[in-house]
Amino acid sequence: MEIVDTYYSKDEYVETASGNKVSRQTVLCGSQNIVLNGKVVVQTGAIIRGDLANVRTGRYCVISKNAVIRPPYKQFSKGIAFFPMHIGDHVFIGESAVVSASSIGSFVYIGKNAIIGRRCALKDCCIIEDGAVLPPETTVASYMRYTAKGTIEGGQGNPNFVPAAMQDQMVDYTKSFYEHFLRNPQAG
Amino acid sequence: MANFMQNSVVSYACTCGLVNPITKLFFCRHCLKLRCGFCVCHEVDSHFCSNCLENIPSSEAKHKKNCCTNCFNCPCCQHTLSARATMVVVPKKTDDSPKEGEGDGVKAVTKKMYYLSCLGCRWTSRDVGIPDQNVATGAWPENECSYQTRFNALLEYYQAVVLQDKQEKQEYLRRKTPKAHKFPSLTDRTGLTVSMIRRQIGWPDKNTQKAKPVNITPSVATDELEDLPADVFTQPINLRNVSNIQQRHGQPSDQPFTVNKLYPQRRILWIKRSLRCRQCEHNVIKPEYHPTSVKYRIQLFANYHVPDVLLVRSEEVLHAGKSGSIILKLTNPTMHDMSIKIKELPTLSEELEMIEEFKLACKIKENTATSAAAESLKSITSSPSLTSTTLSRQTSLIEDPRIVQQKANVKLNNSELNFVLNQRDDSTEFDEDVQTPREEPEFIIWRKSNKVSIRLPFTTDESLKVGDLVKVGFTMEYTYVNTVTNTPTSHTLSARVFIDAGQILGE
Ligand SMILES: [Zn+2]
Ligand SMILES: [Zn+2]
Ligand SMILES: [Zn+2]
Ligand SMILES: [Zn+2]
Repeated sequence: MEIVDTYYSKDEYVETASGNKVSRQTVLCGSQNIVLNGKVVVQTGAIIRGDLANVRTGRYCVISKNAVIRPPYKQFSKGIAFFPMHIGDHVFIGESAVVSASSIGSFVYIGKNAIIGRRCALKDCCIIEDGAVLPPETTVASYMRYTAKGTIEGGQGNPNFVPAAMQDQMVDYTKSFYEHFLRNPQAG
Repeated sequence: MANFMQNSVVSYACTCGLVNPITKLFFCRHCLKLRCGFCVCHEVDSHFCSNCLENIPSSEAKHKKNCCTNCFNCPCCQHTLSARATMVVVPKKTDDSPKEGEGDGVKAVTKKMYYLSCLGCRWTSRDVGIPDQNVATGAWPENECSYQTRFNALLEYYQAVVLQDKQEKQEYLRRKTPKAHKFPSLTDRTGLTVSMIRRQIGWPDKNTQKAKPVNITPSVATDELEDLPADVFTQPINLRNVSNIQQRHGQPSDQPFTVNKLYPQRRILWIKRSLRCRQCEHNVIKPEYHPTSVKYRIQLFANYHVPDVLLVRSEEVLHAGKSGSIILKLTNPTMHDMSIKIKELPTLSEELEMIEEFKLACKIKENTATSAAAESLKSITSSPSLTSTTLSRQTSLIEDPRIVQQKANVKLNNSELNFVLNQRDDSTEFDEDVQTPREEPEFIIWRKSNKVSIRLPFTTDESLKVGDLVKVGFTMEYTYVNTVTNTPTSHTLSARVFIDAGQILGE
């Protein structure tokens, strides 16, 4: 199915020079520590905790409504420390997802209401299903699908869980999401 | 939601008749046919651990029973265990401490120790009394079960039986085949080896000793069973101490009854698969070797070769027996212009004909394959293992073609729609949107580089009721330029496409 055009009003979103479309109704703490590398959509209600540590995303990422991006922490004997979070290109983060991963590769799909525990590593081309809960320090390898049941399925070349052309699929999806997320022409 | 995360609205019929979204289909460039997961041979390409992402060669994987040596699963919830470091106070040993000026010598020191902990369910290796280790990848105890020696003896025995069986079969074949090559012919390209001469004379190979299975004590069934202990009936059960089915299956060798016998389990390895067309045995997918690589060495996805059809929207409210139309977006993924013809699906008899044709093609292929195998059997002078591998190839296991289950319930208004889909040109993405004026048929709504949007009018069946799903089906004929051959050749191929247009809403 072709993605339908979604319109936003001029007052609702800010478009930066690099093409990022960021809602005004977001909580971007420590915005000097947040780097959005261009053509990134951050929707209404999203929270990015740049005050804890650096957050850097690649190009064509989508951070959906009410998603929380929170850099991971590690506990030491003398206290806790936060670590920066890196997100690759063409990553989709679904609505109300809570993400505390230490690294997210490129071409990753995170479903809505998913919870990614602290210091998880999501490799390129993996899928996290809607509502999946990843315990801390989970590694999801490439072409793996973390199910809502808590199992890991798939593997490269297995067509049943992650599409073999996941890279192209995600490039297509995030690009067309960006291109169909438009400013309302009537509202000016 | 991304298309690959939901039930696809547009699906394509594979050559075998199964209907799949284009993301699950492959295109064999040698047969020029669509292939689904059942029409390809799945082969293990490489083994790796999905947690530590280490690549493990297949011989080593076999030796390690397809388990990772470094990673463990939680026996309680099957999640990965992580090593935790703690500072433990250990009393200093007395024999290395008495040195001058070091005080009293019984001072306690702190030492870093490791234990395994599950961050999913809080199980730790301390729960079952496994001692802490002083290295993170420590020698965690292998939970050897009591039957291990018996298992190993049986394994050894049956391996020997298999070997003996194989040797006897070879011997039999050798005796049975006429000794046509008593003397090496002039056409024999490989020289005469000692083993060949031995075989020709009829002596057994020197290096293969006759395998004789060692004797094992066979198991004996017994009638005597221990009675249930009396307290089974009197003591209340604490279910928290009883392991569940999943936990027992996770530890198949001893299948513990109680949770205090759960031990960390080695993590099972994952594989990368390469897929091979069953008809021509060419690869349609071959992944890159390294576990962290997402690239392919061979990637013949259907959406690189077949025009991609997307449903944009359904134009009108759909009524039974009335006309409606859908807007489609077609994309040409190839570097060559395609002429597209959209027409009605084949009728039942045409479809049966197609199946017959396909079966015939497979049969010819199979016959040549079996005759080749028989040929290689006759000339058994070469290594016998070669024949066994060719025989074990899954050539004949082609998915039986069937009639497509999905039926369209509309009739297309036009008997044929013809148009051209321009080639893909990656540079146009950055160009200004220039519409070159040209004579377009009226069903074309817009056109941009390799994409075209068309309106497909149809009439729904009268038998449909309110709420029924309208299925639009058509055959899409397209020209495909095959670049595998030295000189690019153009072919007319066809794909059967099914689209969910939505529900019947009004009477
Ligand atoms: Zn098939
Ligand atoms: Zn491992
Ligand atoms: Zn656990
Ligand atoms: Zn083929």
